[in-house]
Amino acid sequence: MVRKLLDGNGAAAEAMRLARVQVIAAYPITPQSPIAEKLSQFVADGTLKAKYLRVESEHSAMSCLIGAQLTGVRTGTATSSVGLALMHEVLGVASGLRLPIVMPVVNRSLVSPWSLWCDHQDTMAERDSGWIQLYAADAQEVLDLTLLAYRVAEDPRVLTPIMVCMDGFFVSHTSQPVEVPDQEAVDRFLPPYRPQNLYLDVDDPMFVNDLTPPADFTEMRYQQKVGFEAALEVLPEVMDEFARHFGRRYDLVETYRCEDAEAVLVTLGSMSGTGKYVVDQLRAQGQKVGLLRVVSFRPFPADRVRAALSRVPVVGVMDRSAGLGAEVGPVCTEVRAALSAEGRQVPVVGFVGGLGGRDLAPKTLAAAFSRLLEIRAGAPAPRTSQWIDVRADALQLREVPAGVRH
Amino acid sequence: MSRLQDRVMQQSGSSKPVRYLYGPVATVFAATQTGTWRIHRPVINQAACNRCGKCARFCPLDIITMDRKDRSRDVTVDLTYCKGCGICAAVCPLGCIAMVPEGGEG
Amino acid sequence: MLQLKLYGLGGQGVVTAAKVLAEAVAVHEGRYAQSVPAYGHERRGAPVYSDLFVDDQPILVKSFVYEPDYVLIFDLAVLDKGVDVTQGCRSHTVFLVNSAQPPVDYPFSRGYGPVYYVDATGISLATIGRNIPNSAMVGAFAATGVVGIESVARALGDIFGKAGEINVEAARQGHAAVRKL
Repeated sequence: MVRKLLDGNGAAAEAMRLARVQVIAAYPITPQSPIAEKLSQFVADGTLKAKYLRVESEHSAMSCLIGAQLTGVRTGTATSSVGLALMHEVLGVASGLRLPIVMPVVNRSLVSPWSLWCDHQDTMAERDSGWIQLYAADAQEVLDLTLLAYRVAEDPRVLTPIMVCMDGFFVSHTSQPVEVPDQEAVDRFLPPYRPQNLYLDVDDPMFVNDLTPPADFTEMRYQQKVGFEAALEVLPEVMDEFARHFGRRYDLVETYRCEDAEAVLVTLGSMSGTGKYVVDQLRAQGQKVGLLRVVSFRPFPADRVRAALSRVPVVGVMDRSAGLGAEVGPVCTEVRAALSAEGRQVPVVGFVGGLGGRDLAPKTLAAAFSRLLEIRAGAPAPRTSQWIDVRADALQLREVPAGVRH
Repeated sequence: MSRLQDRVMQQSGSSKPVRYLYGPVATVFAATQTGTWRIHRPVINQAACNRCGKCARFCPLDIITMDRKDRSRDVTVDLTYCKGCGICAAVCPLGCIAMVPEGGEG
Repeated sequence: MLQLKLYGLGGQGVVTAAKVLAEAVAVHEGRYAQSVPAYGHERRGAPVYSDLFVDDQPILVKSFVYEPDYVLIFDLAVLDKGVDVTQGCRSHTVFLVNSAQPPVDYPFSRGYGPVYYVDATGISLATIGRNIPNSAMVGAFAATGVVGIESVARALGDIFGKAGEINVEAARQGHAAVRKL
């Protein structure tokens, strides 16, 4: 074990080297580019024995990996934003073929407006792609969740690809001390890849991804549903084993000072650390607040969310994507569904904030908590999403003379 | 917070003859004034220049103007846009364009 | 938790300087540090900044610095470019400025904490041969006591590899030459 200063991108590349990926196909895109560059450097300097395929797009990158993984090797790539969107079609091929590909995704908003910066719309747009989605909150978690993701994805009960999501810049480019395990320790935790399902072998031919008639399609989708249900069991198993090997403990959700909380904010990704910092500050002022962080968004651990919030009188959810056209953002929609399934009439307030790189600063999260405490004190709970950090001039941004061209 | 949102949601009901565009659009083109990028500025020795026109033909921004028939009129570079790339100085056959550091950033 | 803000111009190594300090604290002193660079449309000569958190315990916050305890100014030209280096500063905020002369008439010269200055540009030209003041600045910063000069020297060795030696020399000269206003 060695303590290194790494950012999230560096941690992802280290994890893929430690996992001994054998084929890499990646297309650089801000803010993921340093992952593609580091993997290329590892291959060039011989510290990672892998074939690095230079591809002309993310669609090709994922297509190459699907072919490579089918030959029985562990593969690696990473992407972000419009790169993930360009992969959309082939993401479904990877998950439908039950290929256990693990892919770091650096969260960046989708166009338009053009932005290089963080929000969750890119991965939220792929939440039904048949991939497991884990959200890391810092660089250490990027390394750890990526390593354990291989074990979960490759488990014969799961056989589902995994995105390890990290917030662009706030995790990908933020450097912090990271405990990097030795190769031998990782080898003990993560044995060499052996295909458990489909594989390509010239001596034992298969025809994969063939046209599937209505007579079988539903059943094959159902197989994937069973895989996701199994993942809810396998993820905690592997996380426990990871803790035994490396001493760091993870779970599907993480609760922070929720015991006697009057209001809890549900978070995803790097805002969780800032949220804990705010909880500590508010607790020091005598405010009973807590935080529930979702680590696994797909599969969504509804039982665990219900259990964590069972005695909380007011719940808020901070979505880092707009969820356009829905009453609230995508994470809030899940939390509301989970709680209402049990018939609870607790107010669940949907906040939207931190879009396109806007910082979810301590004061922004503190504003969300104070709104929740107002509701606890009797203020009406809004049904629709509350844009916590929108400017007052949102509809008067670009003034032009009236009458021009109209 | 909800009051803030209410204010945002109110259309501007003003009588001013303006309207507002939605979406990503620039109506002020400050970002196109690429002269702010410049670290070195081209300075032309007007007396030595024979007005061959090569610098103007090579200029990627097409911002060098000259009167090829009247050498009494100076060759000019539009410094609002000149990025200081130095191509003009590099291609000048007489070597009469110098790239001079901008003040304050030398 | 100490919060630092580093201001400079593109090409002066501001982002790298924050990483060097983070490495010095987190790897060579066994404490915790987190550097948060601000990314935009980078180009040489444009104002850039980077943020740094330093603490004895793990750092939870994943956000920019809004109320710095320390401000490092790599080039006073950032003030001409409209950067408000006193934004969020409080009465105790310490400034470290790259300046050959005592920076007496600047917005930060009075009303805040101690102001340190060092001719990091002169030192970098003499040691590295180019105006990259970052190593002299991080060496000078060690004079504040937030991080040790030996940790800074080891971090520079880690990050600059072969060029480590001349950068360590720049840091030691910066450390020796820093003055208080």
